[in-house]
Amino acid sequence: MIEDDFYRTSSQFRLWSFTEESLRTVRQKTNSLASDRVRIALRRAREARQSANSSAAGTPNPNGSDADSKAGEEKDIECLTSEEEQDLVRYYCEQIIQLGESYKPPMPSIVRATAIQYLRRFYLTNSPMTYHPKTIMPCALFIATKTDNYYMSLRQFADGVPGDTTAEDIIAPEFLVMQSLRFTFDVRHPFRGLEGGIMELNAISQGLGEPAPHLPNQSAEDLRRAILSLPPPLNTPSPPSISDRLARAHHNTREILKSAAQMTDAYFLYTPSQIWLSALSLADAPLAQFYLDTKLPNPTESEHPLAQLRAKLLQTLSSCATLLQSYKPLGSDPEQKKAMRRIGKKLYHCQNPEKVNLAGQKRIPAAAAAAIASAAGNPSDTPTPDSEMERLAKKRKLEAEQQKAGNDIFGGDLVMERTRDRQA
Amino acid sequence: MPPSREALVNRGDEDEVCPVCKSSRYLNPDMRFLINPECYHKMCESCVDRIFSGGPANCPVAGCHKTLRKNRFRKQTFEDIHVEREVDIRRRVMTVLNRREEEFDSKLDWDNFLEQREEIIFNLVNRIDVAKTEADLQSYASENMRSIRANQALEAKEVSSFQERQNHEQELARLRRQAAKEEYENERKELLAGRENYLNNLAQGRAGDAAAIAQKVMLKKSSARRSEEERIRQKQAALRGTDAQKPAYPGAVTAEEGGSGLIKGLKKIKTPEPEKPYDPFGGMVPNKRDYYTLRDHYPSSYLDPIRQDTRMLAGGYDLQEYYSRTMLEAFAGLGCFIDEEVPKRQASSFNVMKPVATQGAALAAGSGSGSI
Repeated sequence: MIEDDFYRTSSQFRLWSFTEESLRTVRQKTNSLASDRVRIALRRAREARQSANSSAAGTPNPNGSDADSKAGEEKDIECLTSEEEQDLVRYYCEQIIQLGESYKPPMPSIVRATAIQYLRRFYLTNSPMTYHPKTIMPCALFIATKTDNYYMSLRQFADGVPGDTTAEDIIAPEFLVMQSLRFTFDVRHPFRGLEGGIMELNAISQGLGEPAPHLPNQSAEDLRRAILSLPPPLNTPSPPSISDRLARAHHNTREILKSAAQMTDAYFLYTPSQIWLSALSLADAPLAQFYLDTKLPNPTESEHPLAQLRAKLLQTLSSCATLLQSYKPLGSDPEQKKAMRRIGKKLYHCQNPEKVNLAGQKRIPAAAAAAIASAAGNPSDTPTPDSEMERLAKKRKLEAEQQKAGNDIFGGDLVMERTRDRQA
Repeated sequence: MPPSREALVNRGDEDEVCPVCKSSRYLNPDMRFLINPECYHKMCESCVDRIFSGGPANCPVAGCHKTLRKNRFRKQTFEDIHVEREVDIRRRVMTVLNRREEEFDSKLDWDNFLEQREEIIFNLVNRIDVAKTEADLQSYASENMRSIRANQALEAKEVSSFQERQNHEQELARLRRQAAKEEYENERKELLAGRENYLNNLAQGRAGDAAAIAQKVMLKKSSARRSEEERIRQKQAALRGTDAQKPAYPGAVTAEEGGSGLIKGLKKIKTPEPEKPYDPFGGMVPNKRDYYTLRDHYPSSYLDPIRQDTRMLAGGYDLQEYYSRTMLEAFAGLGCFIDEEVPKRQASSFNVMKPVATQGAALAAGSGSGSI
């Protein structure tokens, strides 16, 4: 189908689509790497503290006791699990919705949805332990206002953010976020697709339906009769007219797309049109089924490629619907609230101390930024920027050393070499 | 032909006798012998005039019944009549079998062709299978008339271009010689003038200036020579430059049709595919859709007012764009099954991002631990 090929060219499909399994592995890898680094960073911080203390006291610690205390303390550092991270990110996704609502006028839901997707994409390769979502979240929303063409000045934006967040704080992680997004800002949302579907259903209900390319012998009148004779959706009183029914389905589907589709992994696992169709089937199952039937014929022989496509599609839609249904809003669930509080406390202890103050960190110099950008322009390369920075620093150091050694044509001092050998 | 050789030939044949009229060169020193490539019988010019002026007639030599025409008679080139005949045959066969090397698939085929051609010539010279060989040659000539003619034209062109190039080179050489000669003349003239000047200066000047004048003249001379040399070098460079841009070698034409079975291993003639009309969409039908058919208008209480609203439409807003975009997005990707296509994609194209990302992170972690 040609429409599918259009979608296959999108960056969302090429870079941000995963199977459930690969999604899990990516997250686990990110989590384990981040926890390793957090442990290292915390130990380093403590050592720095200790050395400061000891030098102040003037009594050097014997080595043995130092190692002991290190081992003992290391056990304390308890990092977030991958699931906890996910819950945390979801909490901040809900915060994005709240934040967008707080502006006057409220931000369009599509901007908020884009921001949520940015945040989710960001936390695929970064861990909340490394970068606290509290700092990333406003930045993601601010980027979304720009990419979705909803202009808002930075000052105006910063005024709306609760707490004493300055404009500087908001844009501090901007490059970091963009890099983790691999500079792909295009998010394909299901919202516009839903509008199109409802628009066409409306046309069908008024007897203006067009036959689908694969079903040339549909007639507008037949379609109209079929849509009028649909059974009412489950658990709802039959609405008085078809236009009311469509309006209700439209509204309910939109609500699902605004909440459940954003808070789950639907964007990673399914395509936008699959998402909106399964949301429609949650809102009004017979209507969704009818609409699908008008588009895809139901050939009797199962070998037919269209029949296979249809079977696969129905299966995918139902699994997507299950995923959407599994979402429970955080606010309505005291259990989850409690869990969130616990995670927050835990995160306080395992936050990477070296990444706390993003705004205070030296901004990336332009040349290095350009180098990173060119490296990240390569689609198979997403280094986290801090790693990139460290790597660059290390490289510079190495080069300097090499240069020092290279100045002497016949290599370094022989005596030095020999003593080093003896030590080894 | 150099005259000395002709004289030699004539002197050797002092007592040559025309086999037809029996008149001898001794009596008629201006006698010239002619031959006809039909039978290669020699006869004197007056006999040819006498016998064949009235149209074709039989050869007057006893036992030879070939019909000869006057216009085919010509002077003998080689002393040995057999060589004369072989050269004639060779020339005739070569004009017919004038394939060129670039027309053959491989070197072997080309060599085979050359051998075959030699064989035909040999057969004709030694009168082996003459009838069959002639017939073959005839049929080949009639079948490949066009290619033969094309190759002939090509050859003629080559010859003429070669000639041209040679003329050109000769012309250049002449120019160079002339330039050199001029240089030499100029230099000599200058030398003489300089010497005269020098003497004049010495004659007019005071005694103490002699050394200074000599110095000056020397300087002048050397600078003049230097500028002169520079000029020569430039001229030569210019000549060499024109030499470099030689006329392009005429490109080979290989457009043959079929051919009898006589010659093997000719390159197949590829008739180029007729070019299709340019298709900007690469076979795709514009606005073709598989899931839906776009309408011109969709009823909507929300959108319909826009259709009349000049404020919206004045800026170029087109509702049709909205329709097509929303409908496309409604179905774009409906048949993309990520759980199937993504693993396939990752298996085929080199795993995309994960390993690299984690590698970068691992590197960072490693460097972190290293710097403790």
